[in-house]
Amino acid sequence: MSQENAVRKPLPAPDADTAAFWRGLQQGRLLLQHCRRCRHVQYYQQATCRQCGSEELDHQPASGRGKVHSFSVVHRAPGPAFKADVPYAVLLVELAEGPRMISTLTGSSPEDVTFDMDVELTFESVSEDITLPRFRKA
Amino acid sequence: MSDTSLRGKVAVIGIGLSAVGKVPGRSPLSLATEAARNALADAGIDKSEVDGVLSSHAFASPFHRFSVAFSEYFGIRPTFSNTLQVSGATAATMFSIGAAAIHGGLAKVVLVVAADSLLTGLTPDLALRSLTESRDQQYEMPFGIPVANTFAMTAHRHMKEFGTTPEQLAEVAVVQRRHAARTPGAQQTTPITVEDVLASPMVTTPYHKLDCSLISDGGAAFVLVSAEHAQALGIEEPVYILGCGECYTHEHIFLMPSLTTTGAVESSQRAYAMAGYRPADMDVAGIYDCFTGTVIMMLEDLGFCRKGEGGPFVADGQMTYGGKIPSNTHGGLLSFAHSGMPGSLFHFHEVIAQLRGQCGDRQVEGAQLGLVHSLGAGFATNASTILGTREAL
Repeated sequence: MSQENAVRKPLPAPDADTAAFWRGLQQGRLLLQHCRRCRHVQYYQQATCRQCGSEELDHQPASGRGKVHSFSVVHRAPGPAFKADVPYAVLLVELAEGPRMISTLTGSSPEDVTFDMDVELTFESVSEDITLPRFRKA
Repeated sequence: MSDTSLRGKVAVIGIGLSAVGKVPGRSPLSLATEAARNALADAGIDKSEVDGVLSSHAFASPFHRFSVAFSEYFGIRPTFSNTLQVSGATAATMFSIGAAAIHGGLAKVVLVVAADSLLTGLTPDLALRSLTESRDQQYEMPFGIPVANTFAMTAHRHMKEFGTTPEQLAEVAVVQRRHAARTPGAQQTTPITVEDVLASPMVTTPYHKLDCSLISDGGAAFVLVSAEHAQALGIEEPVYILGCGECYTHEHIFLMPSLTTTGAVESSQRAYAMAGYRPADMDVAGIYDCFTGTVIMMLEDLGFCRKGEGGPFVADGQMTYGGKIPSNTHGGLLSFAHSGMPGSLFHFHEVIAQLRGQCGDRQVEGAQLGLVHSLGAGFATNASTILGTREAL
């Protein structure tokens, strides 16, 4: 692996299941899948509802509100690409709609994160094709 | 008990380790071979008797079919073989699948063998990346989430919900370091205190460096045969597989049903049910200890104390000699060694040696029943095994 590749952050490669999700992020929307049959809401994008197996899934943008269910502030980076970012707070956010997701804190010190802290969605464009969903203190 | 139960059907008749710790210049295949030779010598049988091989992946010898590459290197031609992958839980599944294969007639003598050289076969950055790259490339890795972070978030939430303290986490490392000091070949034997753990550099909150397991080289191997076969061979102290159970609750940490109660509850309950024993019957335990908080959560989920009481349980001396369940008496992944997939096989080696009464200074007196719990990938994978002596059958 070249030096350049070693320090480049991993970027998602959208596939058939996730293309609409990543396109939504580029347009400033975090799309959740809502099951028309059982009303289950899922963050992880797939062709079927994980609860009832239905294929009747609708994309609806998340409100962007959530709470920090848990977190861990990374002091030792997982590889060279993240060395410049430490310390940074990895968040397990529980969205107002129910599903949880992994993201990172932006806009304030990682030392100030607390359990159940209210956070709101923000968008960070990291490449021409990819915008990451991140969270700031509400 | 149904006819298909594996309870007592298969015995472990040989155990062996390679050199463990910092072992430069040796490939995983070479370490696996050393461990296999030792296990076969311990069993008193020749490698030509082996017709089954179960292995796991090695980062430093990344053969997709490690079990097949091992067999070529070792000079055997098995008629049953596989390279298993459920992360840290793989070790326990090697025993259950090996036992099922023997009981189901697929093989007569199964060699369980794994080795890796994460300390000297990979650079530290590559070793870390070898773990991080196993996380989801779309939903996790873009945010820089190492596997340590997933375990850290579970322990962190446990602290929030139950008041578990950093000192209680640290106590796990202190106890296990004390255990390692009595284990020949352990990688870290210098005594440590709670203050030392808390003063060591932060890795990912709430885990300090000394809350985290080691990075090591080494391997382990085991010989499994049917109970009848063990008797025919005149094995003096066979250790029987009495119960096994697995549970897989999620892949992604954000889909873990609860951060503080894991699939270990179900995997261990299944193992206890098969064995016909309760947690309180266990004399010794090998508990996967990639991080200190992992042990506290597992002491609860495996039924040794109530949910939320793991911290006080450890601080009260219940996971060491004289306590309710002496655990990781070899020092565990925190102090004995952690060479990746084989890490949990060291717990098997220790618990089996305890049941055979071979642990010298660190022997748990009269141990007849032991539990090994293997887990991995942020508690995505859980597998429990109950082992016992002839008296426990």
